[in-house]
Amino acid sequence: MSTAKGMRPPSRGVRQKMTGLHTWTGLLAGWLLYAMFLTGTVSYFKEEISQWMRPELRPAQIAPDLPAIAQRTADTLALIAAGSPGWSMLLPTSRNPVVSAFWRDRDHADQPRRHGGRPFQTALFDPDTGKTLSARDTLGGEFFYRFHFQFYGLPVLWGRWLAGLCAMFMLVAIISGVIVHKKIFIDFFTFRWGKGQRSWLDAHNALSVFGLPFHFMITYSGLILLMALYMPWGARTGLRTPMQQAALDTQLSAYIRPGQPAHVAAPLAPMDAMVRLARQRWGSAEGLRITVTRPGDAAARVAVARGDTRRVSTSPQYLLFDGATGELLQVHDHVGAAAETRGVMAALHLGRFSDMPLRWLYFLISLGGTAMVGTGLVMWTVKRRASLPDPHLPHFGFRLVERLNISSIAGLSIAMTSYLWSNRLLPAAMAQRADAEDKVFFAAWGLSLLYAICRPARRAWIELLWTASALLALLPLLNAITTNRPLWHSLIIGDRVFAGFDLSLWAFAALHAMLAARAGRHPLRAASRAAAPARSSPVGQP
Amino acid sequence: MSTLLVMLLCVMAFAGLALATSRQQRELFGRALSPAATCGLRASGWLGLLIALGLLVAGRGWAAGLVCYSGCTSLAAALVYLGLIIQARRTTPH
Repeated sequence: MSTAKGMRPPSRGVRQKMTGLHTWTGLLAGWLLYAMFLTGTVSYFKEEISQWMRPELRPAQIAPDLPAIAQRTADTLALIAAGSPGWSMLLPTSRNPVVSAFWRDRDHADQPRRHGGRPFQTALFDPDTGKTLSARDTLGGEFFYRFHFQFYGLPVLWGRWLAGLCAMFMLVAIISGVIVHKKIFIDFFTFRWGKGQRSWLDAHNALSVFGLPFHFMITYSGLILLMALYMPWGARTGLRTPMQQAALDTQLSAYIRPGQPAHVAAPLAPMDAMVRLARQRWGSAEGLRITVTRPGDAAARVAVARGDTRRVSTSPQYLLFDGATGELLQVHDHVGAAAETRGVMAALHLGRFSDMPLRWLYFLISLGGTAMVGTGLVMWTVKRRASLPDPHLPHFGFRLVERLNISSIAGLSIAMTSYLWSNRLLPAAMAQRADAEDKVFFAAWGLSLLYAICRPARRAWIELLWTASALLALLPLLNAITTNRPLWHSLIIGDRVFAGFDLSLWAFAALHAMLAARAGRHPLRAASRAAAPARSSPVGQP
Repeated sequence: MSTLLVMLLCVMAFAGLALATSRQQRELFGRALSPAATCGLRASGWLGLLIALGLLVAGRGWAAGLVCYSGCTSLAAALVYLGLIIQARRTTPH
């Protein structure tokens, strides 16, 4: 990004206009962006969160026996999804101990696959027995992942449009921010302590500049991921026949559409042999997905697709088998240049190819992005507080922003932690349990908003941050009481997921305590400073 | 492990680049360093970043190597930045 011309301001007009653009796009989308950033950040550990939220399950194995597991699960699916026009299962990985599958309801057999109303059933399976899993009903890390691009409580498509709008605002804010920031290289290492607004600006700049490649990539690739939703007209104009649309599908995903049934019963050929063939081709590739259409019919097809680990692309690579005979029909191992570009963008965004060090880098820098949005939001109030006619009675817009800041920053931490608390406290056998967990998340968030409205702003910052810190700090203790996998046990047996999770919770508790303590230390300007140490969050984690 | 080594290299490289700026020289040494020293620091900083890139690409290939490089440089710059703040706070307590 060109910044060299910063030495000689081109014209005040342009820069001032960009400042206005940056401020207002940032503010308007800021609250949702903060939530998207933070829930997206933790989604880099989606599988680990899911493991922690299903403590009944044994830890993921390093090298599960995939062919046998595929066969066992297929046998079960043949019973419970009998008559379904198709099902799909994701085999376990070293990060995910279970098989997850979904299948189409037979009643909705002939409906086309769409993003909206899904006539799908889903289930988890025990890889050892192939039976459906009896672990507690929870969305696990999937909740944060889904939330970060489609929210909840909105129709899915609306949620995705809203997320896309926020991402577009973010892109505008990034580019205008680079133009506004005159001295990226000169001020690269500059931080002026204790200078109020100036310090905030330095912190915001540092968080933005250090992570700039990531911020730009994540925003742009996020838009690319849902481009078919946001800009469908090209495909609609160019691809009119079902044949052309099917050709597009094979470029974008490894899902296959059910063909016409032959109405001749034929059992599925052995699945383990197909998985073995796939593993021969892709080595120890993880995250294999098996999709079967028209199972039990002579026209059955099986696609064994390669996962996204170990390659920086999500473009579909799969082997297509005749489901009845087991014969290999086709090998899809490359797509067109445009589809491959999209696949690389998606892979960069999702980071599924990462090993643990790289995953932590993703996590920490994304956390820095969260802090960038947070500092930006708080700066809006810091900047305007100085010029308020009466600091004790700010105008409505100022108070609105202040309260929304408190509830979207401190409140979100409380909501996310409450979601984890509910996972341990709700009875395992409760009906609609996963829904209840989601409701706890939103209830906690709503309560923090109410609290932020009722209390003086500075007190609300301090008290909500302390609440978040306490909830985070006590969660490993709750885990020790309610499960048989307490921290000391995890440390002794070397359970990295559980030990890492509990220790990370404490790290986050410490971070929130620091924020709360800082908010309490400066009585005059504390409210606006409450998030100051957020600057250090990218490196404040283990 | 190798990622950690590259990380370390990036931190040293950014430290060199930071010390090559006049503001940091005034803060840390109370005076500007000689042009030769400044130039040397800057050159070794950039060289360090180049070597880090080479190591990562050799180890992980271009695709994942570049991603990891972006992550390492971002985090390393942040660490150096934080180190400079802590250093400044220690010498001039408010």
